[in-house]
Amino acid sequence: MNNNKEQVVITVLGANKPGILAGITRTIADSNVNVEDVSQKIMQDLFALMMMTDFSSANCSFEDFQSRMQAMGDQLQVKVFIQHEDVFRYQHRL
Amino acid sequence: MLFSLEEVIETISAVGVETFDIRTVSCGINILSCTDSDVNKCAEKVYEKVVRVARDLVPTARILEKKYGIPIVNKRISVTPVSMLANAFTEPTAVPIAVALDNAAKELGIDYIAGFGALVQKGFTRGDQILINSIPDALCSTDRVCSSVNIGSSQSGINMDGVYRMAEIVKEAAERSRDKNGLACAKLVVFCNAVEDNPFIAGSFLGAGEAEAILNVGISGPGVVRAALERAHNLSFGELSELIKKVSFKITRTGELIGREASRMMGIPFGIIDLSLAPTPAEGDSISDILELMGLERTGCHGTTAALAMLNDAVKKGGIMAATYAGGLSGAFIPVTEDAGMCRAIVDGALNIQKLEAMTCVCSVGLDMVAIPGDTSVDVIAGIIADEAAIGMINHKTTACRLIPVPGMKAGDVVDFGGLLGKGPVMEVGRHSPAVFVRRGGRIPAPVHSMKN
Repeated sequence: MNNNKEQVVITVLGANKPGILAGITRTIADSNVNVEDVSQKIMQDLFALMMMTDFSSANCSFEDFQSRMQAMGDQLQVKVFIQHEDVFRYQHRL
Repeated sequence: MLFSLEEVIETISAVGVETFDIRTVSCGINILSCTDSDVNKCAEKVYEKVVRVARDLVPTARILEKKYGIPIVNKRISVTPVSMLANAFTEPTAVPIAVALDNAAKELGIDYIAGFGALVQKGFTRGDQILINSIPDALCSTDRVCSSVNIGSSQSGINMDGVYRMAEIVKEAAERSRDKNGLACAKLVVFCNAVEDNPFIAGSFLGAGEAEAILNVGISGPGVVRAALERAHNLSFGELSELIKKVSFKITRTGELIGREASRMMGIPFGIIDLSLAPTPAEGDSISDILELMGLERTGCHGTTAALAMLNDAVKKGGIMAATYAGGLSGAFIPVTEDAGMCRAIVDGALNIQKLEAMTCVCSVGLDMVAIPGDTSVDVIAGIIADEAAIGMINHKTTACRLIPVPGMKAGDVVDFGGLLGKGPVMEVGRHSPAVFVRRGGRIPAPVHSMKN
């Protein structure tokens, strides 16, 4: 793995409606965060999106990025979680 | 993709729905370098050192909370038992040290600081006596300082003079904080086999064998275990144990991550993870709820000790593999007022102090946050402490008493200590007196360590 990468998992959960993916990815692109992998599902009527991103080239701090994404999440009425990938790695991988 | 959507959602919902958090990141600080025969000068040095060493504790925890999306509920500090410093004091008081610790905690934004204690399992030094005599004053003139005294061990037996003196101190501390329902006693623990690396307040202190400074982590997670059990039905004991082990593994791994990162950021060595399930008064964050989900009508009914033994063991088995260094108390805590389910079991008549004592034989840590009638005699309190210490001494485990004889209250009354300390019913204690026994003086000799029946 590229050691210079700073991998951050973005998770979006909420009621399904048009424009969620567009709004979320626009904010990510505006922050110059690189999306490396995407997984999306509609579970019953719940929109669930997970993205693996590389934060190392971002044009803002981690905290600012969280605030920007939070604001977009509020606008779209979905929950957005921005977490360093290690928390998932530690829990789910040996 | 490195992780499945299901795995990510599992982690997120553990925090959002099931009240998973890191209960505490605790910084242990050696304060022996602060020694001085003048207690006030010593207090100045203690304040300066604690503030200097732990300055980054709260900011570091905040950064990690954001980075990983896992709440770190408490940031705490423990110090070397203050009695060791008190040996040098010309004036026979250690209260200024407690005040210095309290001020340091306030400066750093720490809710509790511990280590205002002594180890007297075999006898008292002058410093131990100064410290113990100062406890009621220290706890009543500070907000955040916690105290613990170790009165017994499997190696040394039980110092019954220490037991009796601590019973007097418990009673005095309760009376002195009468206007707050004896709150001072909620910050005072009497131990047998106290551990040197416990990150949990109120019984935390930095042992003499520890490094200059250390970070220890306490996980929590009763809510996560409860949620897993709610989703699983008709499991055999083996399957149930497996399920609990898996949950424990995951929550401990998160603690490991937080501990390693905090240690790296602060430049302080990572000590241990304490594998304890620690309940809070929040609905659902209860050990009692887990026991009842395992199939008990109410916690305290026959079968409770077995259920708790199994839970405690499974938590350790799962957690040990996840932690580089496990330590501290490591077991399920069964405090009363801090666990709404335990309080309900008492109100329903299913749980009494005798059954609670039996439960402490198989888990950590003892009769914890147990409110008893305000008119309970020193002799009876000494008897309760001695019984609990005997369980620890014989079984090579840590046991403790955090008893609050609530002034003016009787069995069945409800006392509210507020916040994490919770509220609950005052428990009935035995009516007959152990006075002649507990006043004999001297020590209960160390037990034989073979012939274990």
